[in-house]
Amino acid sequence: MDFGGIFDALLTIVGSPYHLFLLAIAVPIGMFFGAIPGLGGKLGIVLVIPFVFGMDAVAGALFLIAMHSVVHTGGSVPSILFGVPGTGPDAATIVDGLPMTKNGEAGRALGAAFGASGVGGVIGGLFLLALLPLLQPIVLAFSPAEFFLLALFGITLIAMLSGDSLVKGMMVGFFGLMMAFVKLDPQTGIERYTFGQLFLWDGIDIIAAVLGIFAIPEMIALGAAGGSMAGGSKINASYGLAGVLRGIGDVFRHWTLTIRTSLIGAFIGMIPGLGGDAASWICYGHAAQSSKTPERFGKGAVEGVIAPETANNSKEGGSLLPTLFFAVPGSSGMAILLGAFIMLGIQPGPALALPENMDIVWVLIWGLMLANILAVIMFIVVAPGLGYLSYVRGNLLIPFVLALTFLGAYLAIRSWENMALLMALGVLGYFLKKYHWPRPPFVIGLILGPIAEDSFHKAMALWGPAFLLRPGALVMIGLIVLTIGIYVYRLVRHKDAPEWMHEDDD
Amino acid sequence: MRRTVVASFAVVLLAACSQDTGNGDDSDFYQGKTISYIVATDPGGGYDSYARLIGGYLQKYMPVDNVVIKNTPGAGHLVGANTLHRSKPNGLTIGTFNIGLIYGQLLGKAGMAFDLRDLAWVGKAAGEPRSIVVSNNCVIQSIDDLIAAEEPVKFGSAGLGSASWSDMMLLADALELKVEIVPGFEGNEGEMSMMRGEICAIMGSTSSFKNFLDSGYGHLILTVGGELEGVPNAVDVAQTERAKRLVAIVDALAKLGRITAAPPGTPPARLEALRAAYKASLEDPQLRAEAARLGLPIDPAYGEEVEQLVIGALDQTPETIAMIKKAIDGTE
Repeated sequence: MDFGGIFDALLTIVGSPYHLFLLAIAVPIGMFFGAIPGLGGKLGIVLVIPFVFGMDAVAGALFLIAMHSVVHTGGSVPSILFGVPGTGPDAATIVDGLPMTKNGEAGRALGAAFGASGVGGVIGGLFLLALLPLLQPIVLAFSPAEFFLLALFGITLIAMLSGDSLVKGMMVGFFGLMMAFVKLDPQTGIERYTFGQLFLWDGIDIIAAVLGIFAIPEMIALGAAGGSMAGGSKINASYGLAGVLRGIGDVFRHWTLTIRTSLIGAFIGMIPGLGGDAASWICYGHAAQSSKTPERFGKGAVEGVIAPETANNSKEGGSLLPTLFFAVPGSSGMAILLGAFIMLGIQPGPALALPENMDIVWVLIWGLMLANILAVIMFIVVAPGLGYLSYVRGNLLIPFVLALTFLGAYLAIRSWENMALLMALGVLGYFLKKYHWPRPPFVIGLILGPIAEDSFHKAMALWGPAFLLRPGALVMIGLIVLTIGIYVYRLVRHKDAPEWMHEDDD
Repeated sequence: MRRTVVASFAVVLLAACSQDTGNGDDSDFYQGKTISYIVATDPGGGYDSYARLIGGYLQKYMPVDNVVIKNTPGAGHLVGANTLHRSKPNGLTIGTFNIGLIYGQLLGKAGMAFDLRDLAWVGKAAGEPRSIVVSNNCVIQSIDDLIAAEEPVKFGSAGLGSASWSDMMLLADALELKVEIVPGFEGNEGEMSMMRGEICAIMGSTSSFKNFLDSGYGHLILTVGGELEGVPNAVDVAQTERAKRLVAIVDALAKLGRITAAPPGTPPARLEALRAAYKASLEDPQLRAEAARLGLPIDPAYGEEVEQLVIGALDQTPETIAMIKKAIDGTE
């Protein structure tokens, strides 16, 4: 592997007005596709492919990677302002982003999200660089056995995200797991709880679930209470540019968390098959778990915004690794990107690591990092304006947000039945919210349940129960035991008043 | 005055009706209209790429304003196929989906809402030859090794009931391969699993293995639905009468490949217009060049030829259907 061309590639980008111009238009396009629920980066890439067709390889690849790597930066905006996630992996940002908006800290939350996305993206790029020589053994160490245990590990994080009542959290989490069983059984092909509805064959759509559980209840509550999203808060608590800059500052104030979740995100991104949703929720859980004051989570803790937002941008750097060097895409979005690269004359595969081909790899890594930085700068300009949206009156805001919500549910799988599902889950979400039951465990169950089920079956078919004794599996089991151990230790230490025995009374 | 208004209104209405039913001369029917091209998958991927490519050229050969791609993914192409079947047969909707749905119809699976024979077939852009790829770190390195294997060889496959899984089951049964099929490997997961040395081989569309093969991770040991230099064809490997019949089905479906159809009852004149434009598009050297750049093979067939192929594939004797059922479901 030849590292000599690293800075030549940087010069290729910043030394050419044409390339800078491409970056400058790719970034807002990518953020737009992220910010509108249901569109997503995948569709964005498919739609711009005809325009990239005539470009040379460097320009085309730069445009596509820049666009793809900032999708989740844009996706955080509606999550924070309205509780409507722009993309699946931005859903975890709602849990603390939306309460921050309600506390009048929309600017700070947006600043934290952009800062975290930018830093996450850059660390993801550095991760890509650092791991190039070690790629193969690490990626290949993760088999269905480790996937299963990683999903189980994520599920144990439900305990951390249960807020005041572990029992309620577990019940909601198990309900989410149960809903994950709605689909064709992957092992027998038999319909499970689909009631003859084809749109349920592939399982409950995550976008509809997240919109239903988070966005709809917020809008009902806002409509019932009147006023604006940030109505209950003191105006100017965090307002305008000062708030945004404070949010960006938070990212660096919590620098150890920022780096940790960036690395976890990049790592999960690197392993094909886990996906961005899992990455951001696992990082959110990690933030709550490693916090000295976990009780602040879900009520507007800025770390709860930083963790998922670093993860969903850094994972792009991670998932570029297998896409480029194995020609095995890390996600369905990467699969489309891979197709586009081939069209541009870039042939992914081990041969890409040969010195004569590395130039384009450096361009991609720089493109990814520069796009992330550019996205932050662009957003700092508009973020103060976005923050004002949290003071828009409910009766003006609700129709707009509901239209966006229903559009998102429809577009996600392009089926009207999904809108009915959205309403049903909206009702569920409303009652969960009204009676102060935690909502994140539902989404975790729904996202990680299928990964756990599918990899369990594969691991059993490949190795039988002995899969639990694989070295990687033992490490994961150790992690799970440790997580539960820490949780129990915390309970015992506060023996006089175990958190989960408190009845929720706020 | 009033009567004139009513009368002219009626004339307009009648005109609108006649336009909609497509009777009589409507050579300029497509003028300024929009055609919807239903794709039974998400954006990206083979079916979508073919539709976007061909859709662009249909615009060139028909006076339509626009050809819009409508992605209706879900339930292994069933949602898309059912949507196409339910669409208004006014010549403004066409669609593409995995022809493996023929298995569903033959076996009477749930979810198939109609008879594939009823669709108005426009054409096919290419076949979709299927192959078995083995990883280089597997003990099995050729089809002879596989046939002679004493221990079951681990194969990965897409989800149970999917078209690619059905193909694999049929082929394994026909050639009496000693295999253990682990389902649930979607997309490129099977390739990853081969690289980790968990499974030995997978069967899938030949074109999808291109990157894997170019990277030197494995090689093809058997193909079906098209000739491939240096790779044995399942049609030649099949020895018994029974094997030949089962392989013929896999072969026929693979040769059909990337089909396009319109809803049942599409007016004949408009179907002809669609078929002609589809043919002109696929014969266009510019389309061929673009397809080559996108890595999409073109091997077209048109109109009635495709219709006959579909009818032929569905026209199986009860005993053949029983054989298929036994191979795929394990039941008679």
